[in-house]
Amino acid sequence: MPSRLLGPQNRYLWFWVFTGPFVVGLGVFVYVPLLWSLALSFFDARNTVTPTHFVGLSNYTSVLGDSAFTSSLATFAVFCLFIVPATYALSLALALMVNRLRLARAFFRSVFFLPTACSYVVASVIWKLSLFNGVRFGLANTVLRWFGQDPVAWLSTSHPPWYWLVIVTVRLWLQAGFYMVLILAGLQRIPRALYEAAAVDGARPGWQVFRHITFPQLRATSVAVVLLLVINAFQAFDEFYNLLSTARGYPPYARPPLVYLYYVALGQGQDLGIGSAGAVVLALIIALVTVVQARWFGLGRKEE
Amino acid sequence: MTTSEPTEPIPAPTFSRRRLFTLGAGAALTAALAACGSNTGRGSGSSGGHGAPVLSQWYHQYGEAGTEQAVKRYAAAYTEARVSVQWRPGDYDRQTAAALLTDAGPDVFEVNGPTLDQIQGHQVVDLTHEIAAVRPDFNAAVLAPKTYRGKVYGIPQTIDMQMLYYRKSLLTAAGVRPPRTLHELVDAAHRLTTRNVKGLFLGNDGGAGVLGGTPLFAAGLELVTADGRVGFDDPAAAAALAGLHTLYANKSLLLGAPADWADPSAFTQGLTAMQWTGLWAMPQIKKALGDDFGVLPFPAAGNHGRPAVPVGAYATAVSARSKHVDAAKAYAKWLWVDRTDDQQDFALSYGFHIPARVSLAKKAAKLRTGPAADAVGFATDHGHASPLLWTPKSQTALQDALTRIIQGGADPSAQLKSVVSTVGSELSRVLKKSGKG
Amino acid sequence: MRKNGEATIQDAHVRLGRALRAVIIGALAVLFLVPFYLLVRGGLSSESDLTSPGWTFFPRTLRWSNVRELFDDPSVPMLHALWNSTQIAVLTTLGTLLLASLAGYGLARIPYPYANHVFYAILGTLMIPSAVTFVPSFVLVSTLGWISTLRGLIVPTLFSGFAAFVFRQYFLGFPKELEDAARVDGLGHWRTYWRVVVPNSRPVFAAVGAIVFIGSWNAFLWPLVIGQDQQAWTVQVALATFTTAQVVNLHELFVAAAVSILPLVVVFVVLQRYIVAGVERSGID
Repeated sequence: MPSRLLGPQNRYLWFWVFTGPFVVGLGVFVYVPLLWSLALSFFDARNTVTPTHFVGLSNYTSVLGDSAFTSSLATFAVFCLFIVPATYALSLALALMVNRLRLARAFFRSVFFLPTACSYVVASVIWKLSLFNGVRFGLANTVLRWFGQDPVAWLSTSHPPWYWLVIVTVRLWLQAGFYMVLILAGLQRIPRALYEAAAVDGARPGWQVFRHITFPQLRATSVAVVLLLVINAFQAFDEFYNLLSTARGYPPYARPPLVYLYYVALGQGQDLGIGSAGAVVLALIIALVTVVQARWFGLGRKEE
Repeated sequence: MTTSEPTEPIPAPTFSRRRLFTLGAGAALTAALAACGSNTGRGSGSSGGHGAPVLSQWYHQYGEAGTEQAVKRYAAAYTEARVSVQWRPGDYDRQTAAALLTDAGPDVFEVNGPTLDQIQGHQVVDLTHEIAAVRPDFNAAVLAPKTYRGKVYGIPQTIDMQMLYYRKSLLTAAGVRPPRTLHELVDAAHRLTTRNVKGLFLGNDGGAGVLGGTPLFAAGLELVTADGRVGFDDPAAAAALAGLHTLYANKSLLLGAPADWADPSAFTQGLTAMQWTGLWAMPQIKKALGDDFGVLPFPAAGNHGRPAVPVGAYATAVSARSKHVDAAKAYAKWLWVDRTDDQQDFALSYGFHIPARVSLAKKAAKLRTGPAADAVGFATDHGHASPLLWTPKSQTALQDALTRIIQGGADPSAQLKSVVSTVGSELSRVLKKSGKG
Repeated sequence: MRKNGEATIQDAHVRLGRALRAVIIGALAVLFLVPFYLLVRGGLSSESDLTSPGWTFFPRTLRWSNVRELFDDPSVPMLHALWNSTQIAVLTTLGTLLLASLAGYGLARIPYPYANHVFYAILGTLMIPSAVTFVPSFVLVSTLGWISTLRGLIVPTLFSGFAAFVFRQYFLGFPKELEDAARVDGLGHWRTYWRVVVPNSRPVFAAVGAIVFIGSWNAFLWPLVIGQDQQAWTVQVALATFTTAQVVNLHELFVAAAVSILPLVVVFVVLQRYIVAGVERSGID
């Protein structure tokens, strides 16, 4: 065999031996459906995946003209702007506190990490039926009652939008422990010597040390955590669906794009053309945000 | 984690045999997959032992105990084919919609439809011939939405209807009489509300989901007129919907109950004095409350109003992609046309449903007295089914508007205007399609 | 030189701060445990205790019979679902680790002119929400005839861009000297990988494995649609039968939820040290 195809020392051959199986699978099970979706977005594809009626960009104009879709994008932006900083702050706070513990450190780390084992289905059951149950035997309403307040229908009240409290706390509970572990790992890597030097310079333990040493040293970890949080927020579906959907559909509030697309494309009015067009728009937005974010954090310039 | 370039020096570009190896790896992968088989059941739609086809039949998950065993019993008695019954939890409409796109879907399935798009997309087959002999015996109101251009695409199984249940003792204690108008309903709910008990339960979303078109029917309007136009472009509609917001604003509605409107728990546990739920819940309510309850239709709204209850039917349909369409049709006919005893048992032995066949409904002793008889009367006199032209998109538009009006206090006229426009364009779309072919 | 009084004040400050932190972390720990408590409380209560107007912190009588009731319920094959979930999670984890680690190693360590293109093609899939390609994926799997089969539930989920990405990043930082030593001993890429790289990379395998295992055990939408036959139900799907039923049976739902997380909680408690160490040392960031 000509060596230029195999590369020096058969390296190209070995490259494909290692990556080939994965790449083929990715092609079949990710890229084929992806391109299929892309194609569907240009067809009138109601109740069929092999449409024949080409409609050009009309699915795109109609999905972008649908106020339900555009408002779902807004909903999602609000959610993202809230959940990402909140999860980051909570994880960081937990990590800092656990890191300074001398006693029972493993115990507290376990306690905060344990929710990672729960599924969104289970967590939604607990949140919806026990914690934020809208009637008198829910825990939150029991607590309100102790203070003489009336029960609140947490998930059915849009003024004020209490449902956000439920949605955000469920995700905080499920995620914070995992990111706490990542940040703990980052804290372990900060050289002791830096703290000793700071102490010599008279920096007060606490806020000053945090601001000038811990936080800057955590930068790589923080960037990683925020990126992961944003990617996860893009995929948000399970808790919205499990908390708010009913047998008859989904309320028009707190409806993120994936929930909208799920109902449009997979519901009884199975409109795969519109659904795919919306999905393409969403994927483009996600790509754009990711690129902007990467620039913002100065990634892609040089390996750290 | 970064998204930067790899740090290795990149060798000069040369041609590779990537394609060849890709194919080789693909073959290896396929072999590996074949080895990891372990089929967990399901006779892949092929033939059974002695040339008898294997049919797969789907039901959504009924809440009443015993229903699953019952439908499996019916299927087991069929001799012309082996029927494998699948009991589907979760979002049934979406599961069937996805499955109908493939060969792996059901042969025979019950459906809260079929929808016009499913019919126009040739996903379900024509069953007119199967029910021809007994067609007049089916309840006309629920058969109509299964009929498209004279052909029947689903055999109605049972009639489901919903109505208002009220606790007699609580109404008496509060000095409230059973409401006959929407105005009285609002007033009654308000007066029945105490610190521990709410006046009315219309579902955890405040009624938008379960009520749907019912308040419009009660205002004397329709969803779609006989000539295919929007039926609620009328000020009376806005007035009726404004009444629903008052219920919410008065804090008379129970919200956030652990079980939604379809389950009578909130009513039987005393969380609410009145609840909107299905006829199917009556046995449970009777067991819990004895005679301490009565039933009403949704009360008339406005000057031209009339009482209304929604009726509908799950229907049995046959997938056009079934490999055994004829066998599937024969089975559907056998169970839902010929086997009247099974139909009777299915309708009445587990929950309460009205048999879709008029002759069976008349025979049902359980439906002849008390609140059950009232319910049958409501269904006959005040029943409205969603027409076939009422597409899921129209339904979503109305439901979204209802939520905004009820919970958000949005202006009913403005909301209805946008619903009218959405429904109008849906109607012209489906009518144009049916005009074409 | 500091005066004695100042030192005491500082000491007091430190002690106060420490006490405050202890209180805060204790309170947070309690908050994080409340949902588990609610789950167990719900699972061991009778229906009437659960729905009674007054809040009882502990069920008046612990109803262990709820657990038996769950496993005896003929309409939900809970034991079988647990077995399915176990098989699926184990096989998915092993398959993902194998495929993604090989790919990550190839991308990081074997020079190839188009390696970047391949890498970006993998990275790009991280941005695609799975629901976007859901319907075509489903149609594809059914075209293959894999509905209600273990392979339908497992194979399409094996190609995790996330896992490949993590492995690549990790192997980029793998000590070159170890490999060079292997090279000197005359080992090729393949044997170097299995004899030197894998044994020295246990933490990253543990960390990715744990994440994949959890994700697989907790997956809901895909098993719901692919596992059509009751025989192919996973734990999450079985659990959903309780939440979607027209009549909600609260205590059985809570018991089922508790049973569904029990295996993972046990795994976590027993293996926690290794998982945490793995995540810490894997360089996932």
